[in-house]
Amino acid sequence: MDREEILKILKSPANWGQKYSLWAVYFCTGCGVVEIPPVITSRWDAERFGVLPMATPRQGNLFLITGYVSVKTLGAIIRTYDQMPDPKYVVGFGSCPVNGGMYWDSYNTIKHLDQYLPVDGWIAGCMPRPEAIFVAVVHLWQMIDKGMAVGYKRYRENYDYYQRNQRAVLPHLPKFDLSQDALVQRSR
Amino acid sequence: MREEELSNAIQATIESATATVQKPGRLVASVPKAAATSALIFLKARGFEHLSAVTCTDWLEQGEFEIVYHLWSYQDKIHIMLKTRVSRENPQMVTAMPVFRHAQTYEREIHEMYGVRFEGNPRLTPLLLDHWQGPPPMRRDFDTRQYVEETFGSTPPAEE
Repeated sequence: MDREEILKILKSPANWGQKYSLWAVYFCTGCGVVEIPPVITSRWDAERFGVLPMATPRQGNLFLITGYVSVKTLGAIIRTYDQMPDPKYVVGFGSCPVNGGMYWDSYNTIKHLDQYLPVDGWIAGCMPRPEAIFVAVVHLWQMIDKGMAVGYKRYRENYDYYQRNQRAVLPHLPKFDLSQDALVQRSR
Repeated sequence: MREEELSNAIQATIESATATVQKPGRLVASVPKAAATSALIFLKARGFEHLSAVTCTDWLEQGEFEIVYHLWSYQDKIHIMLKTRVSRENPQMVTAMPVFRHAQTYEREIHEMYGVRFEGNPRLTPLLLDHWQGPPPMRRDFDTRQYVEETFGSTPPAEE
Protein backbone atom coordinates (compact mmCIF):
# COMPACT_ATOMS: atom_id res chain seq x y z
CA MET A 1 0.00 0.00 0.00
CA ASP A 2 1.48 3.33 -0.96
CA ARG A 3 1.41 6.56 0.97
CA GLU A 4 -1.31 8.10 -1.17
CA GLU A 5 -3.66 5.23 -0.49
CA ILE A 6 -3.14 5.59 3.26
CA LEU A 7 -3.91 9.31 3.03
CA LYS A 8 -7.10 8.51 1.15
CA ILE A 9 -8.16 6.06 3.85
CA LEU A 10 -7.45 8.58 6.58
CA LYS A 11 -9.47 11.19 4.72
CA SER A 12 -12.60 9.08 4.72
CA PRO A 13 -12.41 5.79 6.63
CA ALA A 14 -16.13 5.23 6.11
CA ASN A 15 -15.78 5.31 2.34
CA TRP A 16 -12.86 2.93 2.56
CA GLY A 17 -14.88 0.52 4.66
CA GLN A 18 -17.90 0.65 2.39
CA LYS A 19 -15.77 0.23 -0.68
CA TYR A 20 -14.18 -3.05 0.32
CA SER A 21 -17.23 -4.63 1.91
CA LEU A 22 -19.84 -4.57 -0.82
CA TRP A 23 -22.13 -7.26 0.45
CA ALA A 24 -24.62 -8.26 -2.20
CA VAL A 25 -28.16 -9.20 -1.26
CA TYR A 26 -28.68 -12.74 -2.46
CA PHE A 27 -31.82 -11.91 -4.40
CA CYS A 28 -32.42 -13.84 -7.59
CA THR A 29 -34.29 -12.17 -10.44
CA GLY A 30 -34.68 -13.69 -13.87
CA CYS A 31 -32.06 -15.66 -15.71
CA GLY A 32 -29.00 -13.47 -14.95
CA VAL A 33 -28.60 -15.11 -11.59
CA VAL A 34 -26.94 -18.15 -13.21
CA GLU A 35 -23.81 -15.98 -13.37
CA ILE A 36 -23.78 -15.45 -9.61
CA PRO A 37 -22.73 -18.96 -8.40
CA PRO A 38 -19.48 -18.97 -10.43
CA VAL A 39 -18.82 -15.41 -9.29
CA ILE A 40 -19.07 -16.16 -5.58
CA THR A 41 -17.41 -19.57 -5.66
CA SER A 42 -13.81 -20.55 -6.28
CA ARG A 43 -13.75 -20.05 -10.06
CA TRP A 44 -13.88 -16.24 -9.85
CA ASP A 45 -14.02 -15.79 -6.07
CA ALA A 46 -15.75 -12.47 -5.57
CA GLU A 47 -14.47 -12.25 -2.01
CA ARG A 48 -11.17 -10.98 -3.42
CA PHE A 49 -13.12 -7.80 -4.12
CA GLY A 50 -14.96 -7.87 -0.83
CA VAL A 51 -18.20 -8.93 -2.52
CA LEU A 52 -20.12 -11.51 -0.53
CA PRO A 53 -23.64 -12.83 -0.91
CA MET A 54 -25.74 -11.87 2.08
CA ALA A 55 -28.80 -13.75 3.19
CA THR A 56 -30.79 -10.79 4.46
CA PRO A 57 -31.22 -7.25 3.13
CA ARG A 58 -30.39 -5.84 6.58
CA GLN A 59 -26.78 -6.93 6.12
CA GLY A 60 -26.30 -6.06 2.47
CA ASN A 61 -25.47 -2.84 0.69
CA LEU A 62 -25.13 -3.97 -2.92
CA PHE A 63 -28.27 -4.92 -4.83
CA LEU A 64 -27.71 -6.71 -8.15
CA ILE A 65 -30.87 -6.83 -10.26
CA THR A 66 -29.96 -9.86 -12.33
CA GLY A 67 -32.35 -9.98 -15.25
CA TYR A 68 -35.91 -9.18 -16.21
CA VAL A 69 -38.16 -7.75 -13.55
CA SER A 70 -41.78 -8.82 -13.63
CA VAL A 71 -44.35 -6.68 -11.85
CA LYS A 72 -44.63 -9.20 -9.02
CA THR A 73 -40.86 -9.28 -8.58
CA LEU A 74 -40.73 -5.49 -8.59
CA GLY A 75 -42.84 -5.48 -5.44
CA ALA A 76 -40.36 -7.82 -3.72
CA ILE A 77 -37.40 -5.75 -5.01
CA ILE A 78 -38.84 -2.52 -3.62
CA ARG A 79 -39.60 -4.15 -0.26
CA THR A 80 -36.05 -5.51 -0.13
CA TYR A 81 -34.51 -2.19 -1.13
CA ASP A 82 -36.49 -0.32 1.53
CA GLN A 83 -35.13 -2.69 4.18
CA MET A 84 -31.48 -2.20 3.26
CA PRO A 85 -29.51 0.25 5.42
CA ASP A 86 -27.84 3.29 3.85
CA PRO A 87 -25.56 3.56 1.96
CA LYS A 88 -26.86 1.11 -0.63
CA TYR A 89 -25.99 0.65 -4.25
CA VAL A 90 -28.16 -0.77 -7.03
CA VAL A 91 -26.59 -2.26 -10.14
CA GLY A 92 -28.73 -3.38 -13.06
CA PHE A 93 -27.28 -6.56 -14.52
CA GLY A 94 -28.07 -7.50 -18.13
CA SER A 95 -30.07 -5.70 -20.77
CA CYS A 96 -33.53 -6.38 -19.31
CA PRO A 97 -33.45 -3.88 -16.43
CA VAL A 98 -32.03 -1.25 -18.83
CA ASN A 99 -34.92 -1.13 -21.31
CA GLY A 100 -36.78 -4.42 -21.09
CA GLY A 101 -34.37 -6.28 -23.36
CA MET A 102 -36.14 -9.03 -25.23
CA TYR A 103 -39.22 -8.38 -23.04
CA TRP A 104 -39.65 -4.84 -24.35
CA ASP A 105 -43.29 -5.50 -25.31
CA SER A 106 -44.21 -7.91 -22.54
CA TYR A 107 -47.33 -7.02 -20.58
CA ASN A 108 -45.96 -8.15 -17.22
CA THR A 109 -42.34 -6.93 -17.23
CA ILE A 110 -41.20 -3.46 -16.26
CA LYS A 111 -39.00 -1.74 -18.82
CA HIS A 112 -36.90 0.94 -17.13
CA LEU A 113 -35.72 -0.02 -13.68
CA ASP A 114 -34.51 3.52 -12.97
CA GLN A 115 -38.11 4.74 -12.97
CA TYR A 116 -38.75 2.67 -9.86
CA LEU A 117 -35.42 2.58 -8.05
CA PRO A 118 -32.30 4.75 -8.22
CA VAL A 119 -29.69 2.78 -10.16
CA ASP A 120 -26.00 3.51 -9.62
CA GLY A 121 -24.67 1.49 -12.52
CA TRP A 122 -25.58 -0.74 -15.39
CA ILE A 123 -23.90 -3.84 -16.75
CA ALA A 124 -24.93 -4.27 -20.39
CA GLY A 125 -25.14 -7.60 -22.17
CA CYS A 126 -27.29 -10.66 -22.46
CA MET A 127 -25.74 -12.31 -20.46
CA PRO A 128 -22.76 -10.35 -19.20
CA ARG A 129 -19.80 -12.53 -18.27
CA PRO A 130 -18.85 -12.85 -14.58
CA GLU A 131 -15.85 -10.60 -15.28
CA ALA A 132 -18.31 -7.81 -16.04
CA ILE A 133 -19.45 -7.90 -12.41
CA PHE A 134 -15.89 -7.20 -11.30
CA VAL A 135 -15.54 -4.37 -13.80
CA ALA A 136 -18.74 -2.94 -12.34
CA VAL A 137 -17.45 -3.38 -8.79
CA VAL A 138 -14.23 -1.53 -9.63
CA HIS A 139 -16.28 1.25 -11.25
CA LEU A 140 -18.41 1.40 -8.14
CA TRP A 141 -15.25 1.78 -6.02
CA GLN A 142 -14.23 4.76 -8.08
CA MET A 143 -17.71 6.23 -7.82
CA ILE A 144 -17.70 5.81 -4.03
CA ASP A 145 -14.28 7.48 -3.87
CA LYS A 146 -15.55 10.45 -5.85
CA GLY A 147 -18.86 10.57 -3.98
CA MET A 148 -20.87 9.79 -7.10
CA ALA A 149 -22.64 6.63 -5.94
CA VAL A 150 -25.45 8.50 -4.19
CA GLY A 151 -28.48 6.62 -5.48
CA TYR A 152 -29.86 6.21 -1.96
CA LYS A 153 -29.80 10.00 -1.48
CA ARG A 154 -31.47 10.49 -4.83
CA TYR A 155 -34.16 8.04 -3.75
CA ARG A 156 -34.85 10.04 -0.61
CA GLU A 157 -34.90 13.39 -2.42
CA ASN A 158 -37.11 12.21 -5.28
CA TYR A 159 -39.20 9.81 -3.27
CA ASP A 160 -42.45 11.24 -4.64
CA TYR A 161 -41.37 10.55 -8.22
CA TYR A 162 -40.35 6.96 -7.44
CA GLN A 163 -43.49 6.42 -5.36
CA ARG A 164 -45.71 7.61 -8.18
CA ASN A 165 -44.11 5.21 -10.65
CA GLN A 166 -44.14 2.32 -8.19
CA ARG A 167 -47.80 2.84 -7.36
CA ALA A 168 -48.81 3.07 -11.01
CA VAL A 169 -48.12 -0.66 -11.33
CA LEU A 170 -48.34 -1.78 -7.69
CA PRO A 171 -50.97 0.30 -5.86
CA HIS A 172 -50.72 -1.72 -2.64
CA LEU A 173 -47.12 -0.87 -1.70
CA PRO A 174 -46.58 0.81 1.67
CA LYS A 175 -45.55 4.45 1.69
CA PHE A 176 -42.83 5.72 4.01
CA ASP A 177 -41.97 9.17 5.22
CA LEU A 178 -38.37 9.50 4.10
CA SER A 179 -37.95 13.22 4.82
CA GLN A 180 -34.94 14.22 6.89
CA ASP A 181 -37.11 15.35 9.84
CA ALA A 182 -38.89 12.02 10.04
CA LEU A 183 -35.59 10.10 9.89
CA VAL A 184 -34.14 12.22 12.70
CA GLN A 185 -37.28 11.71 14.73
CA ARG A 186 -37.08 7.95 14.27
CA SER A 187 -33.42 7.73 15.23
CA ARG A 188 -34.07 9.44 18.56
CA MET B 1 -56.90 -50.94 -33.52
CA ARG B 2 -57.52 -49.39 -30.12
CA GLU B 3 -57.67 -45.79 -31.37
CA GLU B 4 -60.46 -46.62 -33.82
CA GLU B 5 -62.39 -48.49 -31.14
CA LEU B 6 -62.07 -45.59 -28.79
CA SER B 7 -63.16 -43.00 -31.33
CA ASN B 8 -66.20 -45.11 -32.19
CA ALA B 9 -67.02 -45.54 -28.50
CA ILE B 10 -66.82 -41.78 -27.90
CA GLN B 11 -69.12 -41.03 -30.82
CA ALA B 12 -71.56 -43.74 -29.78
CA THR B 13 -71.68 -42.69 -26.11
CA ILE B 14 -71.67 -38.92 -26.24
CA GLU B 15 -74.26 -37.08 -28.25
CA SER B 16 -73.04 -34.90 -31.16
CA ALA B 17 -69.40 -35.70 -30.40
CA THR B 18 -66.80 -36.07 -33.11
CA ALA B 19 -63.58 -38.00 -32.79
CA THR B 20 -60.77 -38.50 -35.29
CA VAL B 21 -57.54 -40.44 -35.12
CA GLN B 22 -54.77 -38.00 -35.97
CA LYS B 23 -51.96 -40.54 -35.95
CA PRO B 24 -51.19 -43.75 -34.04
CA GLY B 25 -51.52 -42.95 -30.36
CA ARG B 26 -53.23 -39.60 -30.76
CA LEU B 27 -56.92 -38.76 -30.86
CA VAL B 28 -58.78 -35.49 -31.24
CA ALA B 29 -62.32 -35.40 -29.90
CA SER B 30 -64.66 -32.45 -29.69
CA VAL B 31 -67.77 -32.45 -27.58
CA PRO B 32 -70.42 -29.82 -26.84
CA LYS B 33 -69.96 -27.72 -23.73
CA ALA B 34 -72.70 -29.47 -21.76
CA ALA B 35 -71.16 -32.92 -22.35
CA ALA B 36 -67.58 -32.04 -21.38
CA THR B 37 -67.79 -33.32 -17.82
CA SER B 38 -69.51 -36.55 -18.78
CA ALA B 39 -66.87 -37.07 -21.49
CA LEU B 40 -64.14 -36.63 -18.89
CA ILE B 41 -65.85 -39.14 -16.57
CA PHE B 42 -66.25 -41.59 -19.44
CA LEU B 43 -62.61 -41.29 -20.50
CA LYS B 44 -61.32 -41.59 -16.96
CA ALA B 45 -63.26 -44.83 -16.58
CA ARG B 46 -61.65 -46.05 -19.82
CA GLY B 47 -58.18 -45.67 -18.33
CA PHE B 48 -57.33 -42.05 -19.10
CA GLU B 49 -56.09 -41.34 -15.62
CA HIS B 50 -53.66 -38.54 -16.32
CA LEU B 51 -54.88 -35.03 -17.10
CA SER B 52 -51.63 -33.51 -18.43
CA ALA B 53 -52.91 -29.99 -19.02
CA VAL B 54 -55.91 -27.81 -19.67
CA THR B 55 -55.32 -25.14 -22.28
CA CYS B 56 -57.37 -22.46 -23.96
CA THR B 57 -57.36 -21.01 -27.46
CA ASP B 58 -58.98 -17.76 -28.50
CA TRP B 59 -60.87 -18.05 -31.81
CA LEU B 60 -61.59 -14.37 -32.23
CA GLU B 61 -63.19 -14.60 -35.70
CA GLN B 62 -65.64 -17.29 -34.58
CA GLY B 63 -66.31 -15.58 -31.27
CA GLU B 64 -65.39 -18.62 -29.22
CA PHE B 65 -62.86 -19.91 -26.73
CA GLU B 66 -61.70 -23.48 -27.19
CA ILE B 67 -60.82 -25.34 -24.01
CA VAL B 68 -58.64 -28.40 -24.54
CA TYR B 69 -58.17 -31.19 -22.00
CA HIS B 70 -55.07 -33.28 -22.63
CA LEU B 71 -55.55 -36.79 -21.31
CA TRP B 72 -53.12 -39.69 -21.29
CA SER B 73 -53.72 -43.37 -20.79
CA TYR B 74 -50.85 -45.33 -19.30
CA GLN B 75 -52.64 -48.54 -20.17
CA ASP B 76 -53.17 -47.92 -23.90
CA LYS B 77 -50.47 -45.28 -24.41
CA ILE B 78 -52.92 -42.95 -26.15
CA HIS B 79 -52.98 -39.17 -25.91
CA ILE B 80 -56.44 -37.70 -26.36
CA MET B 81 -57.22 -34.03 -26.84
CA LEU B 82 -60.75 -33.39 -25.68
CA LYS B 83 -61.94 -30.07 -27.08
CA THR B 84 -64.95 -28.04 -26.21
CA ARG B 85 -66.03 -24.51 -27.12
CA VAL B 86 -67.58 -21.71 -25.09
CA SER B 87 -68.86 -18.38 -26.39
CA ARG B 88 -66.66 -15.33 -26.06
CA GLU B 89 -69.46 -13.05 -24.87
CA ASN B 90 -70.30 -15.14 -21.83
CA PRO B 91 -67.28 -17.41 -21.23
CA GLN B 92 -68.54 -19.88 -18.69
CA MET B 93 -67.66 -23.51 -18.13
CA VAL B 94 -68.26 -26.19 -15.53
CA THR B 95 -65.16 -27.06 -13.54
CA ALA B 96 -63.43 -30.40 -14.09
CA MET B 97 -62.43 -30.55 -10.43
CA PRO B 98 -64.81 -33.36 -9.36
CA VAL B 99 -63.18 -35.63 -11.97
CA PHE B 100 -59.58 -34.39 -11.86
CA ARG B 101 -58.87 -32.46 -8.69
CA HIS B 102 -55.68 -30.83 -9.97
CA ALA B 103 -57.57 -29.11 -12.79
CA GLN B 104 -58.01 -26.35 -10.22
CA THR B 105 -54.69 -24.65 -11.02
CA TYR B 106 -55.12 -24.91 -14.78
CA GLU B 107 -58.58 -23.40 -14.55
CA ARG B 108 -57.28 -20.67 -12.30
CA GLU B 109 -54.68 -19.76 -14.91
CA ILE B 110 -57.19 -19.82 -17.79
CA HIS B 111 -59.49 -17.61 -15.75
CA GLU B 112 -56.65 -15.15 -15.23
CA MET B 113 -55.34 -15.14 -18.80
CA TYR B 114 -58.60 -15.43 -20.78
CA GLY B 115 -61.33 -14.49 -18.34
CA VAL B 116 -63.19 -17.81 -18.61
CA ARG B 117 -65.23 -18.44 -15.46
CA PHE B 118 -65.26 -22.00 -14.16
CA GLU B 119 -68.40 -22.69 -12.17
CA GLY B 120 -67.67 -24.69 -9.04
CA ASN B 121 -63.98 -23.82 -8.81
CA PRO B 122 -63.59 -22.34 -5.34
CA ARG B 123 -60.35 -20.44 -5.91
CA LEU B 124 -60.18 -18.38 -9.10
CA THR B 125 -57.81 -15.81 -7.61
CA PRO B 126 -54.91 -14.32 -9.63
CA LEU B 127 -52.07 -16.77 -10.05
CA LEU B 128 -49.19 -15.10 -11.89
CA LEU B 129 -50.14 -11.45 -12.29
CA ASP B 130 -49.91 -9.00 -9.43
CA HIS B 131 -52.54 -6.28 -9.09
CA TRP B 132 -53.47 -6.56 -12.75
CA GLN B 133 -55.65 -3.67 -13.87
CA GLY B 134 -56.17 -4.36 -17.59
CA PRO B 135 -58.29 -6.90 -19.48
CA PRO B 136 -57.18 -10.57 -19.55
CA PRO B 137 -53.83 -10.39 -21.35
CA MET B 138 -53.88 -13.53 -23.50
CA ARG B 139 -57.06 -12.58 -25.35
CA ARG B 140 -56.33 -11.73 -28.94
CA ASP B 141 -58.12 -8.39 -28.85
CA PHE B 142 -55.84 -7.26 -26.02
CA ASP B 143 -53.39 -4.78 -27.55
CA THR B 144 -50.15 -5.66 -25.79
CA ARG B 145 -48.06 -2.86 -27.29
CA GLN B 146 -50.57 -0.20 -26.45
CA TYR B 147 -50.90 -1.51 -22.89
CA VAL B 148 -47.12 -1.58 -22.48
CA GLU B 149 -46.73 1.96 -23.77
CA GLU B 150 -49.43 3.25 -21.46
CA THR B 151 -48.28 1.34 -18.39
CA PHE B 152 -44.50 1.18 -18.64
CA GLY B 153 -43.60 3.82 -21.24
CA SER B 154 -41.75 1.39 -23.47
CA THR B 155 -38.89 2.43 -25.70
CA PRO B 156 -39.83 2.56 -29.38
CA PRO B 157 -38.76 -0.52 -31.38
CA ALA B 158 -35.72 -0.36 -33.65
CA GLU B 159 -36.50 0.57 -37.24
CA GLU B 160 -36.93 -2.51 -39.36
